[in-house]
Amino acid sequence: MTPAKKLLSYSYYPGCSLHASAKEYDESTRGLFKALGIGLQEVPDWLCCGATPAHNVDELLSLSLCAKNLSLAEGVEGDLAVACAACFSRLKVTQHHLADNETKRKQVEYAIDGTVNLAKPVKHLLEILAKDFGLDRLTEAVQKPLAGLKVACYYGCLLTRPPEVPQLDCVEAPTIMERVIGAVGAETVGWSHRMECCGANFTLSRPGVVLKLSGSILDSAKAAGADCLMVACPLCHGNLDIRQKEIEEATGQRFGMPVFYMTQLLALAVGVAPGKLGFDSMIVNPLPLLREKQLL
Amino acid sequence: MKHSTMRLSIETMNLDFVKKVEALSGSSVRRCFQCGKCSAGCPMRSFMEHPPNRIVRFLQLGQYERVLAGRSIWYCASCETCTTRCPNKVDLAAIMDALRKCSWDAKGPSKESYVQLANRLFIDNIRTYGRQYEMRLAAVFNVKSGQFLKDLMLGPKLITKGKLKVFHQKNKNLAEIEQIFKRIEELRKKGEAP
Repeated sequence: MTPAKKLLSYSYYPGCSLHASAKEYDESTRGLFKALGIGLQEVPDWLCCGATPAHNVDELLSLSLCAKNLSLAEGVEGDLAVACAACFSRLKVTQHHLADNETKRKQVEYAIDGTVNLAKPVKHLLEILAKDFGLDRLTEAVQKPLAGLKVACYYGCLLTRPPEVPQLDCVEAPTIMERVIGAVGAETVGWSHRMECCGANFTLSRPGVVLKLSGSILDSAKAAGADCLMVACPLCHGNLDIRQKEIEEATGQRFGMPVFYMTQLLALAVGVAPGKLGFDSMIVNPLPLLREKQLL
Repeated sequence: MKHSTMRLSIETMNLDFVKKVEALSGSSVRRCFQCGKCSAGCPMRSFMEHPPNRIVRFLQLGQYERVLAGRSIWYCASCETCTTRCPNKVDLAAIMDALRKCSWDAKGPSKESYVQLANRLFIDNIRTYGRQYEMRLAAVFNVKSGQFLKDLMLGPKLITKGKLKVFHQKNKNLAEIEQIFKRIEELRKKGEAP
């Protein structure tokens, strides 16, 4: 067995959404990793990372919740795989801040009543697929190339920003999503709103913000000729998929744009049964598009 | 928009507040030379009464009341575009967090109580359940904000799609989570944490 072919195995932090409103992201991630032969073991008793609300008003709480998760993850072998862009960002930010700041680290260690371990690499699924597993191997695993499917890859805010923290790809012009989905045969479109904010967690408090910002994103993707959007964040998905009908009503435009989690498309390409990818959980029905492209 | 006169004198400039914000955020406020790049890229600019660069200018001039009384800080989406693009490495996203903490701690009336309410419920859910309970988050938000019918059509759809769990399981390690909250409160009471 060559070193490049050694078995990959990860500890897994799904985050709250993946056990609820984004369950299709969780199902398709597990399906994809199984099909690729990558091990994935969920961290037991993980807790909410605090997402945006925690750091918005209480940085110490946000750092402590993430540090607690990092210490729980110590109990499971392998680098920590994270699917949600927000959880990924918070866990990375915590490692980054606590590495440079002795005072904060002491406060956090007191709060969680334990040592903070910053050694475990936290990796987004994109990084695992593109760098650890490799695009060549991903292409080799394809059973049903996504030929003819025009995908608008939507990064949103937290996959790449701020520059020194996630280190996933170029901060202003990333291509990692395009490279990964391109490796399974899909076409990607060039478009203007790849990294514009979707309105984030204002979906609860100020939905009007979401209608405006997510509306521009859908509009831009449609204008670029995309058949669908691909995302890596449950919050972006909620704003673009769940609120799409409202956006259409508010703007008078018709988008009908299915919003896929990246793992749904990748898993479909590597031969995971479509019934296991949660397509029926999506609000904008993706089945007509997938049938039209002969992917079902 | 109406601009009130701003008088600058040693009495009207609260520079201690600036130092507090700098300590909380770990970022300099005084490095900003007002190029406006943060505001140019800010997706939330159109919802704010003061664009991000003006917030920083107010801080430089010690005009904290104007900052805390407005809705701008609560309309920041934490997308980090400003921090990413600042040529002078001002971490504006961290400064916004620090300002929200100052406003939160002051417990004064805020123009953006809905955003504060949503944050409060989100954090309460972590303390009570360990993880987010989306159904409860939405339902309690509607009741507490008096918008009983908000997203009424969305709820049943999400439940039939299996996206909204009506019942929620609590984490097993709730005592440890409660301890984190308690210990942070204790540190603050002793003045050992901001």
